[in-house]
Amino acid sequence: MDVKNPIANPLIVLREEFDDWAILFDPDTGNAFGLNPTGVFIWKLLDGKHNTDDIVSRLCEEADDVPEDAGEHARQFIASLEQQGLVGYEVIAGNPA
Amino acid sequence: MAAARPVPPLNTLYFYLTEGCNLRCRHCWIEPPHQSETRQFPALEPGLFRRIIVQAKPLGLSSVKLTGGEPLMHPQIGEILSILREEKIRFNVETNGVLCTPEVARDLVRSGLYHLSVSLDGSDAATHEWVRGVKGCFGAALQGIRNLVAAGIRPQVIMTLMRRNVGQIETLVRLVESLGAGSVKFNIVQPTARGVKMHEAGETLGIRELIELGRWIEKDLAPTVQVRLFYSHPAAFRTLGRMFGQNGDCGICGIRGILGVLGNGSYALCGIGETVPELVFGDAAKDALADVWRDNAVLNEIRGGLPRKLDGICGDCLMKGVCLGSCIAQNYYRSRNLWAPFWFCEEASKLGLFPETRVRKGLPATQEAARREERACTCR
Repeated sequence: MDVKNPIANPLIVLREEFDDWAILFDPDTGNAFGLNPTGVFIWKLLDGKHNTDDIVSRLCEEADDVPEDAGEHARQFIASLEQQGLVGYEVIAGNPA
Repeated sequence: MAAARPVPPLNTLYFYLTEGCNLRCRHCWIEPPHQSETRQFPALEPGLFRRIIVQAKPLGLSSVKLTGGEPLMHPQIGEILSILREEKIRFNVETNGVLCTPEVARDLVRSGLYHLSVSLDGSDAATHEWVRGVKGCFGAALQGIRNLVAAGIRPQVIMTLMRRNVGQIETLVRLVESLGAGSVKFNIVQPTARGVKMHEAGETLGIRELIELGRWIEKDLAPTVQVRLFYSHPAAFRTLGRMFGQNGDCGICGIRGILGVLGNGSYALCGIGETVPELVFGDAAKDALADVWRDNAVLNEIRGGLPRKLDGICGDCLMKGVCLGSCIAQNYYRSRNLWAPFWFCEEASKLGLFPETRVRKGLPATQEAARREERACTCR
Protein backbone atom coordinates (compact mmCIF):
# COMPACT_ATOMS: atom_id res chain seq x y z
CA MET A 1 0.00 0.00 0.00
CA ASP A 2 1.27 3.44 -0.85
CA VAL A 3 1.93 5.80 2.04
CA LYS A 4 1.18 9.51 1.69
CA ASN A 5 3.32 11.93 3.63
CA PRO A 6 2.31 15.58 3.68
CA ILE A 7 4.84 17.96 2.22
CA ALA A 8 4.81 21.74 2.30
CA ASN A 9 4.47 23.59 -0.99
CA PRO A 10 8.04 24.81 -1.51
CA LEU A 11 6.84 28.16 -2.85
CA ILE A 12 5.18 29.06 0.43
CA VAL A 13 7.16 31.34 2.71
CA LEU A 14 7.15 31.00 6.51
CA ARG A 15 7.84 34.23 8.37
CA GLU A 16 8.45 33.58 12.08
CA GLU A 17 7.81 36.36 14.59
CA PHE A 18 9.13 37.20 18.06
CA ASP A 19 6.25 35.48 19.90
CA ASP A 20 6.60 32.12 18.07
CA TRP A 21 3.60 32.81 15.84
CA ALA A 22 4.30 33.02 12.12
CA ILE A 23 2.83 34.10 8.81
CA LEU A 24 2.51 31.69 5.91
CA PHE A 25 2.60 33.66 2.69
CA ASP A 26 1.65 32.40 -0.74
CA PRO A 27 3.42 34.68 -3.23
CA ASP A 28 1.35 33.34 -6.08
CA THR A 29 -2.01 34.40 -4.68
CA GLY A 30 -0.86 37.06 -2.22
CA ASN A 31 -2.73 35.26 0.56
CA ALA A 32 -1.27 35.28 4.07
CA PHE A 33 -2.24 33.07 6.99
CA GLY A 34 -1.46 33.36 10.70
CA LEU A 35 -0.02 30.23 12.36
CA ASN A 36 0.09 29.71 16.12
CA PRO A 37 3.20 28.11 17.67
CA THR A 38 1.76 24.58 17.35
CA GLY A 39 0.98 25.23 13.70
CA VAL A 40 4.54 26.41 13.15
CA PHE A 41 5.87 23.22 14.78
CA ILE A 42 3.73 21.08 12.50
CA TRP A 43 4.59 23.12 9.40
CA LYS A 44 8.29 22.48 9.92
CA LEU A 45 7.65 18.73 9.90
CA LEU A 46 5.78 18.79 6.60
CA ASP A 47 8.88 17.65 4.76
CA GLY A 48 7.56 14.52 3.06
CA LYS A 49 9.46 12.33 5.53
CA HIS A 50 6.86 12.37 8.30
CA ASN A 51 3.29 11.17 8.24
CA THR A 52 0.62 12.67 10.46
CA ASP A 53 1.13 10.08 13.22
CA ASP A 54 4.87 10.85 13.29
CA ILE A 55 4.10 14.55 13.59
CA VAL A 56 1.67 14.05 16.47
CA SER A 57 4.20 11.81 18.24
CA ARG A 58 6.86 14.50 17.90
CA LEU A 59 4.40 17.07 19.22
CA CYS A 60 3.66 14.91 22.28
CA GLU A 61 7.39 14.50 22.93
CA GLU A 62 8.20 18.17 22.76
CA ALA A 63 5.12 19.95 24.14
CA ASP A 64 3.40 19.91 27.52
CA ASP A 65 -0.28 19.13 28.09
CA VAL A 66 -1.01 17.88 24.59
CA PRO A 67 -4.76 17.08 24.48
CA GLU A 68 -5.95 13.58 23.62
CA ASP A 69 -7.59 14.76 20.41
CA ALA A 70 -4.41 16.45 19.14
CA GLY A 71 -4.11 13.88 16.36
CA GLU A 72 -7.53 14.78 14.97
CA HIS A 73 -6.76 18.49 15.22
CA ALA A 74 -3.45 17.97 13.43
CA ARG A 75 -5.18 16.02 10.64
CA GLN A 76 -7.79 18.77 10.24
CA PHE A 77 -5.08 21.43 10.20
CA ILE A 78 -3.10 19.63 7.51
CA ALA A 79 -6.28 19.05 5.50
CA SER A 80 -7.06 22.76 5.65
CA LEU A 81 -3.53 23.55 4.45
CA GLU A 82 -4.06 21.15 1.58
CA GLN A 83 -7.35 22.85 0.66
CA GLN A 84 -5.52 26.19 0.49
CA GLY A 85 -2.86 24.71 -1.76
CA LEU A 86 -0.17 25.10 0.86
CA VAL A 87 0.50 21.38 1.28
CA GLY A 88 0.66 18.40 -1.05
CA TYR A 89 1.48 14.72 -0.54
CA GLU A 90 4.56 12.73 -1.32
CA VAL A 91 3.52 9.23 -2.25
CA ILE A 92 5.91 6.60 -0.99
CA ALA A 93 5.49 3.23 -2.71
CA GLY A 94 4.99 0.46 -0.21
CA ASN A 95 4.25 -3.26 -0.23
CA PRO A 96 0.95 -4.30 -1.80
CA ALA A 97 -1.70 -4.75 0.86
CA MET B 1 -17.92 40.23 -23.25
CA ALA B 2 -16.65 40.52 -19.70
CA ALA B 3 -18.55 38.56 -17.07
CA ALA B 4 -20.53 40.69 -14.64
CA ARG B 5 -18.87 40.97 -11.25
CA PRO B 6 -20.98 39.44 -8.47
CA VAL B 7 -22.53 42.01 -6.16
CA PRO B 8 -21.69 41.28 -2.51
CA PRO B 9 -24.39 41.32 0.16
CA LEU B 10 -25.08 44.68 1.75
CA ASN B 11 -24.44 43.53 5.31
CA THR B 12 -24.50 46.79 7.21
CA LEU B 13 -25.79 50.34 6.82
CA TYR B 14 -24.04 53.11 8.73
CA PHE B 15 -26.62 55.80 9.51
CA TYR B 16 -25.13 59.22 10.26
CA LEU B 17 -28.47 60.23 11.70
CA THR B 18 -27.92 63.90 12.44
CA GLU B 19 -26.17 66.61 10.49
CA GLY B 20 -25.39 68.54 13.69
CA CYS B 21 -23.76 67.45 16.93
CA ASN B 22 -24.13 68.54 20.55
CA LEU B 23 -20.33 68.50 21.06
CA ARG B 24 -17.44 70.20 19.25
CA CYS B 25 -14.75 67.51 19.28
CA ARG B 26 -11.43 68.86 18.09
CA HIS B 27 -10.42 65.61 16.36
CA CYS B 28 -13.75 64.83 14.63
CA TRP B 29 -13.32 63.36 11.13
CA ILE B 30 -16.87 64.31 10.12
CA GLU B 31 -16.87 67.90 11.34
CA PRO B 32 -20.60 68.40 11.95
CA PRO B 33 -21.80 71.87 12.96
CA HIS B 34 -22.52 72.41 16.65
CA GLN B 35 -26.21 72.14 17.44
CA SER B 36 -27.74 74.00 20.36
CA GLU B 37 -31.23 75.08 21.39
CA THR B 38 -30.92 78.09 19.09
CA ARG B 39 -29.16 76.39 16.15
CA GLN B 40 -30.82 73.28 14.76
CA PHE B 41 -29.72 71.13 11.83
CA PRO B 42 -31.59 68.48 9.82
CA ALA B 43 -31.79 64.84 10.81
CA LEU B 44 -32.73 61.79 8.75
CA GLU B 45 -36.49 61.61 8.42
CA PRO B 46 -37.86 58.38 10.03
CA GLY B 47 -40.06 57.55 7.03
CA LEU B 48 -37.01 57.61 4.77
CA PHE B 49 -35.05 55.60 7.37
CA ARG B 50 -37.72 52.89 7.18
CA ARG B 51 -37.80 52.87 3.38
CA ILE B 52 -34.02 52.41 3.27
CA ILE B 53 -34.16 49.52 5.75
CA VAL B 54 -36.96 47.83 3.78
CA GLN B 55 -34.97 48.16 0.54
CA ALA B 56 -31.79 46.91 2.18
CA LYS B 57 -33.18 43.70 3.68
CA PRO B 58 -33.44 41.81 0.37
CA LEU B 59 -29.86 42.90 -0.40
CA GLY B 60 -28.59 41.10 2.71
CA LEU B 61 -28.91 43.65 5.50
CA SER B 62 -28.22 42.05 8.87
CA SER B 63 -27.20 44.98 11.05
CA VAL B 64 -27.19 48.74 11.30
CA LYS B 65 -24.90 51.25 12.96
CA LEU B 66 -26.41 54.43 14.38
CA THR B 67 -23.86 57.20 14.55
CA GLY B 68 -23.65 60.89 13.80
CA GLY B 69 -23.23 63.68 14.56
CA GLU B 70 -24.83 62.33 17.69
CA PRO B 71 -27.46 59.67 17.02
CA LEU B 72 -29.26 60.03 20.34
CA MET B 73 -29.80 63.72 19.55
CA HIS B 74 -32.15 62.73 16.72
CA PRO B 75 -35.50 64.37 17.56
CA GLN B 76 -37.36 61.12 16.75
CA ILE B 77 -34.85 58.63 18.09
CA GLY B 78 -37.68 56.65 19.73
CA GLU B 79 -39.34 56.22 16.33
CA ILE B 80 -36.01 55.19 14.74
CA LEU B 81 -35.57 52.51 17.41
CA SER B 82 -39.14 51.29 17.01
CA ILE B 83 -38.52 50.84 13.25
CA LEU B 84 -35.46 48.70 13.98
CA ARG B 85 -37.53 46.71 16.47
CA GLU B 86 -40.35 46.16 13.97
CA GLU B 87 -37.98 45.25 11.16
CA LYS B 88 -36.01 42.95 13.51
CA ILE B 89 -32.66 44.49 12.59
CA ARG B 90 -29.95 44.37 15.24
CA PHE B 91 -27.88 47.49 15.62
CA ASN B 92 -24.96 49.15 17.34
CA VAL B 93 -24.61 52.73 18.46
CA GLU B 94 -21.71 55.16 18.62
CA THR B 95 -22.53 57.97 21.04
CA ASN B 96 -20.88 60.59 23.20
CA GLY B 97 -23.06 59.37 26.05
CA VAL B 98 -24.40 62.77 27.02
CA LEU B 99 -28.01 61.92 26.12
CA CYS B 100 -28.08 58.33 27.43
CA THR B 101 -30.95 58.77 29.87
CA PRO B 102 -32.35 55.74 31.74
CA GLU B 103 -35.35 55.75 29.35
CA VAL B 104 -33.17 55.82 26.22
CA ALA B 105 -30.96 53.07 27.66
CA ARG B 106 -33.97 50.81 28.29
CA ASP B 107 -35.36 51.59 24.84
CA LEU B 108 -32.03 50.62 23.24
CA VAL B 109 -32.02 47.28 25.03
CA ARG B 110 -35.55 46.32 24.02
CA SER B 111 -34.99 47.41 20.41
CA GLY B 112 -32.21 44.96 19.52
CA LEU B 113 -28.99 46.73 20.51
CA TYR B 114 -25.96 44.42 20.37
CA HIS B 115 -23.09 46.85 20.92
CA LEU B 116 -22.68 50.42 22.07
CA SER B 117 -19.64 52.62 22.43
CA VAL B 118 -19.27 55.84 24.38
CA SER B 119 -16.45 58.29 23.77
CA LEU B 120 -14.42 59.34 26.81
CA ASP B 121 -11.19 61.17 26.10
CA GLY B 122 -9.93 61.82 29.59
CA SER B 123 -10.26 60.63 33.14
CA ASP B 124 -11.11 64.12 34.36
CA ALA B 125 -13.47 66.85 33.22
CA ALA B 126 -10.76 69.31 32.21
CA THR B 127 -9.15 66.90 29.76
CA HIS B 128 -12.31 65.37 28.31
CA GLU B 129 -13.97 68.76 27.87
CA TRP B 130 -10.82 70.24 26.27
CA VAL B 131 -11.18 67.54 23.62
CA ARG B 132 -14.96 67.68 23.35
CA GLY B 133 -15.40 71.44 23.46
CA VAL B 134 -18.49 71.67 25.67
CA LYS B 135 -18.60 72.37 29.39
CA GLY B 136 -20.33 69.74 31.51
CA CYS B 137 -20.10 66.92 28.97
CA PHE B 138 -17.73 64.82 31.14
CA GLY B 139 -20.19 64.43 34.01
CA ALA B 140 -23.03 63.85 31.54
CA ALA B 141 -21.07 61.12 29.74
CA LEU B 142 -20.26 59.35 33.02
CA GLN B 143 -23.93 59.49 34.03
CA GLY B 144 -24.84 58.16 30.58
CA ILE B 145 -22.50 55.19 31.08
CA ARG B 146 -24.04 54.53 34.51
CA ASN B 147 -27.52 54.59 32.96
CA LEU B 148 -26.45 52.15 30.26
CA VAL B 149 -24.90 49.77 32.78
CA ALA B 150 -28.05 49.97 34.91
CA ALA B 151 -30.06 48.92 31.84
CA GLY B 152 -27.85 45.87 31.35
CA ILE B 153 -25.54 47.24 28.65
CA ARG B 154 -21.78 46.93 29.07
CA PRO B 155 -20.64 49.73 26.78
CA GLN B 156 -17.27 49.97 25.16
CA VAL B 157 -15.47 53.21 26.02
CA ILE B 158 -13.48 54.76 23.18
CA MET B 159 -10.56 57.00 24.04
CA THR B 160 -8.86 58.83 21.19
CA LEU B 161 -5.21 59.25 22.06
CA MET B 162 -3.47 62.60 21.75
CA ARG B 163 -0.71 64.51 23.48
CA ARG B 164 -3.10 66.11 25.97
CA ASN B 165 -4.55 62.83 27.34
CA VAL B 166 -1.80 60.26 26.81
CA GLY B 167 -0.88 60.41 30.49
CA GLN B 168 -4.40 59.36 31.50
CA ILE B 169 -4.62 55.95 29.85
CA GLU B 170 -4.33 53.93 33.03
CA THR B 171 -6.55 56.20 35.13
CA LEU B 172 -9.18 56.11 32.41
CA VAL B 173 -9.11 52.32 32.30
CA ARG B 174 -9.56 52.21 36.10
CA LEU B 175 -12.44 54.68 35.83
CA VAL B 176 -14.06 52.51 33.15
CA GLU B 177 -13.69 49.44 35.37
CA SER B 178 -15.34 51.27 38.26
CA LEU B 179 -18.27 52.29 36.04
CA GLY B 180 -18.95 48.70 34.96
CA ALA B 181 -18.26 49.20 31.26
CA GLY B 182 -17.07 46.22 29.22
CA SER B 183 -14.01 47.28 27.28
CA VAL B 184 -11.84 50.18 26.19
CA LYS B 185 -10.77 50.87 22.65
CA PHE B 186 -7.94 53.29 21.95
CA ASN B 187 -8.24 55.20 18.71
CA ILE B 188 -5.64 57.22 16.87
CA VAL B 189 -6.45 60.74 15.64
CA GLN B 190 -6.88 60.46 11.87
CA PRO B 191 -5.69 63.35 9.69
CA THR B 192 -9.20 63.97 8.38
CA ALA B 193 -11.25 67.17 8.74
CA ARG B 194 -10.60 68.59 12.26
CA GLY B 195 -8.01 65.90 12.86
CA VAL B 196 -5.82 67.51 10.19
CA LYS B 197 -5.58 70.65 12.30
CA MET B 198 -4.55 68.62 15.35
CA HIS B 199 -1.82 66.89 13.36
CA GLU B 200 -0.59 70.24 12.02
CA ALA B 201 -0.62 71.80 15.50
CA GLY B 202 1.50 68.98 16.95
CA GLU B 203 -1.32 67.92 19.27
CA THR B 204 -1.21 64.31 18.12
CA LEU B 205 1.29 61.57 18.96
CA GLY B 206 4.14 60.55 16.68
CA ILE B 207 4.29 57.18 14.97
CA ARG B 208 7.07 55.84 17.18
CA GLU B 209 5.16 56.86 20.29
CA LEU B 210 1.94 55.30 18.99
CA ILE B 211 3.66 52.01 18.19
CA GLU B 212 5.26 51.87 21.63
CA LEU B 213 1.95 52.74 23.31
CA GLY B 214 0.25 49.94 21.44
CA ARG B 215 2.81 47.41 22.65
CA TRP B 216 2.54 48.68 26.22
CA ILE B 217 -1.26 48.58 26.24
CA GLU B 218 -1.51 45.11 24.67
CA LYS B 219 1.39 43.42 26.46
CA ASP B 220 1.72 45.17 29.82
CA LEU B 221 -1.51 46.95 30.70
CA ALA B 222 -4.09 44.50 29.33
CA PRO B 223 -3.11 41.57 31.60
CA THR B 224 -3.50 43.75 34.71
CA VAL B 225 -7.05 45.01 34.16
CA GLN B 226 -10.55 43.53 34.27
CA VAL B 227 -11.87 45.05 31.05
CA ARG B 228 -10.75 44.08 27.55
CA LEU B 229 -8.48 46.55 25.80
CA PHE B 230 -8.30 47.13 22.05
CA TYR B 231 -5.75 49.30 20.32
CA SER B 232 -6.62 50.55 16.85
CA HIS B 233 -3.31 50.33 15.11
CA PRO B 234 -3.20 48.73 11.66
CA ALA B 235 -2.99 44.94 11.34
CA ALA B 236 0.70 45.00 10.48
CA PHE B 237 1.45 46.25 13.98
CA ARG B 238 -0.74 43.81 15.86
CA THR B 239 0.53 40.48 17.09
CA LEU B 240 -0.88 37.45 15.28
CA GLY B 241 -1.99 36.09 18.64
CA ARG B 242 -4.15 39.18 19.23
CA MET B 243 -5.75 38.74 15.83
CA PHE B 244 -6.08 34.99 15.43
CA GLY B 245 -5.61 33.54 18.92
CA GLN B 246 -8.26 32.61 21.46
CA ASN B 247 -10.81 35.46 21.70
CA GLY B 248 -8.84 37.13 18.96
CA ASP B 249 -10.07 40.17 17.13
CA CYS B 250 -9.01 39.74 13.53
CA GLY B 251 -10.19 43.26 12.72
CA ILE B 252 -11.13 42.50 9.14
CA CYS B 253 -12.70 45.61 7.69
CA GLY B 254 -16.21 45.01 6.37
CA ILE B 255 -15.96 47.75 3.77
CA ARG B 256 -17.13 45.49 0.92
CA GLY B 257 -20.50 45.03 2.63
CA ILE B 258 -21.07 48.50 4.10
CA LEU B 259 -22.84 51.60 2.84
CA GLY B 260 -23.25 54.93 4.58
CA VAL B 261 -26.43 57.02 4.80
CA LEU B 262 -25.90 60.66 5.70
CA GLY B 263 -28.25 62.84 7.73
CA ASN B 264 -29.54 64.52 4.56
CA GLY B 265 -30.53 61.15 3.07
CA SER B 266 -27.53 60.75 0.75
CA TYR B 267 -25.89 57.39 0.17
CA ALA B 268 -22.12 57.55 0.63
CA LEU B 269 -19.08 55.34 1.16
CA CYS B 270 -19.37 56.24 4.85
CA GLY B 271 -19.33 59.49 6.84
CA ILE B 272 -16.51 60.66 4.58
CA GLY B 273 -19.27 61.73 2.21
CA GLU B 274 -19.80 64.73 4.51
CA THR B 275 -16.47 66.18 3.40
CA VAL B 276 -15.72 64.44 0.07
CA PRO B 277 -18.57 65.01 -2.42
CA GLU B 278 -17.35 62.42 -4.95
CA LEU B 279 -17.86 59.70 -2.33
CA VAL B 280 -21.60 60.49 -2.22
CA PHE B 281 -23.38 57.90 -4.35
CA GLY B 282 -27.00 58.99 -4.57
CA ASP B 283 -30.09 60.32 -2.85
CA ALA B 284 -32.17 57.83 -0.87
CA ALA B 285 -35.30 59.87 -1.51
CA LYS B 286 -34.93 59.45 -5.28
CA ASP B 287 -32.60 56.56 -6.06
CA ALA B 288 -33.34 52.87 -5.58
CA LEU B 289 -30.87 51.39 -3.11
CA ALA B 290 -30.47 48.21 -5.19
CA ASP B 291 -29.38 50.30 -8.20
CA VAL B 292 -26.88 52.32 -6.18
CA TRP B 293 -25.45 49.20 -4.52
CA ARG B 294 -25.16 47.32 -7.80
CA ASP B 295 -24.10 50.06 -10.21
CA ASN B 296 -22.13 52.74 -8.42
CA ALA B 297 -18.74 53.08 -10.11
CA VAL B 298 -16.73 53.68 -6.93
CA LEU B 299 -18.27 50.72 -5.13
CA ASN B 300 -17.52 48.54 -8.13
CA GLU B 301 -13.97 49.83 -8.33
CA ILE B 302 -13.46 48.94 -4.66
CA ARG B 303 -14.96 45.47 -5.17
CA GLY B 304 -12.70 44.80 -8.10
CA GLY B 305 -9.51 46.28 -6.71
CA LEU B 306 -9.35 45.73 -2.98
CA PRO B 307 -6.82 44.65 -1.75
CA ARG B 308 -5.02 43.82 -5.01
CA LYS B 309 -4.61 47.41 -6.17
CA LEU B 310 -3.40 48.88 -2.88
CA ASP B 311 -0.28 50.92 -3.45
CA GLY B 312 2.93 51.69 -1.59
CA ILE B 313 3.54 49.96 1.72
CA CYS B 314 -0.07 48.69 1.80
CA GLY B 315 0.50 46.95 -1.53
CA ASP B 316 3.60 45.27 -0.12
CA CYS B 317 2.07 44.35 3.24
CA LEU B 318 1.37 40.68 3.95
CA MET B 319 -1.65 41.68 6.02
CA LYS B 320 -3.43 43.52 3.25
CA GLY B 321 -6.03 40.79 2.84
CA VAL B 322 -7.08 41.37 6.44
CA CYS B 323 -6.43 45.08 6.80
CA LEU B 324 -7.65 46.20 3.33
CA GLY B 325 -5.61 49.39 3.55
CA SER B 326 -6.90 50.13 7.07
CA CYS B 327 -9.32 52.87 5.95
CA ILE B 328 -9.73 53.61 2.27
CA ALA B 329 -11.94 56.61 3.09
CA GLN B 330 -9.06 58.18 4.98
CA ASN B 331 -6.60 57.19 2.25
CA TYR B 332 -8.78 58.79 -0.39
CA TYR B 333 -9.34 61.94 1.68
CA ARG B 334 -5.60 62.43 1.89
CA SER B 335 -4.64 61.67 -1.68
CA ARG B 336 -7.77 61.47 -3.85
CA ASN B 337 -6.58 57.97 -4.74
CA LEU B 338 -8.54 54.97 -3.47
CA TRP B 339 -5.44 52.80 -3.52
CA ALA B 340 -3.10 55.14 -1.65
CA PRO B 341 -1.40 53.64 1.38
CA PHE B 342 -2.58 54.33 4.92
CA TRP B 343 -0.75 57.34 6.36
CA PHE B 344 0.29 55.57 9.57
CA CYS B 345 1.91 52.67 7.73
CA GLU B 346 3.52 54.94 5.17
CA GLU B 347 5.12 57.10 7.87
CA ALA B 348 6.20 54.03 9.84
CA SER B 349 7.81 52.64 6.72
CA LYS B 350 9.72 55.87 6.07
CA LEU B 351 10.97 55.82 9.66
CA GLY B 352 12.06 52.17 9.38
CA LEU B 353 9.44 51.16 11.96
CA PHE B 354 7.26 48.92 9.79
CA PRO B 355 7.56 45.29 10.97
CA GLU B 356 9.92 43.46 8.60
CA THR B 357 8.07 40.16 8.86
CA ARG B 358 4.91 41.76 7.50
CA VAL B 359 6.41 43.12 4.26
CA ARG B 360 6.55 41.34 0.95
CA LYS B 361 10.06 42.66 0.29
CA GLY B 362 12.50 39.93 -0.65
CA LEU B 363 9.79 37.41 -1.48
CA PRO B 364 9.07 36.00 -4.93
CA ALA B 365 6.51 38.08 -6.80
CA THR B 366 4.88 36.18 -9.62
CA GLN B 367 1.92 38.57 -9.81
CA GLU B 368 3.84 41.71 -9.02
CA ALA B 369 4.07 42.95 -12.59
CA ALA B 370 0.33 42.60 -13.13
CA ARG B 371 -0.32 44.43 -9.90
CA ARG B 372 1.85 47.37 -10.90
CA GLU B 373 -0.03 47.81 -14.14
CA GLU B 374 -3.31 48.02 -12.32
CA ARG B 375 -2.12 50.56 -9.77
CA ALA B 376 -2.76 54.28 -9.55
CA CYS B 377 -6.36 54.04 -10.64
CA THR B 378 -8.18 56.97 -9.08
CA CYS B 379 -11.84 57.71 -8.69
CA ARG B 380 -13.36 61.03 -9.57
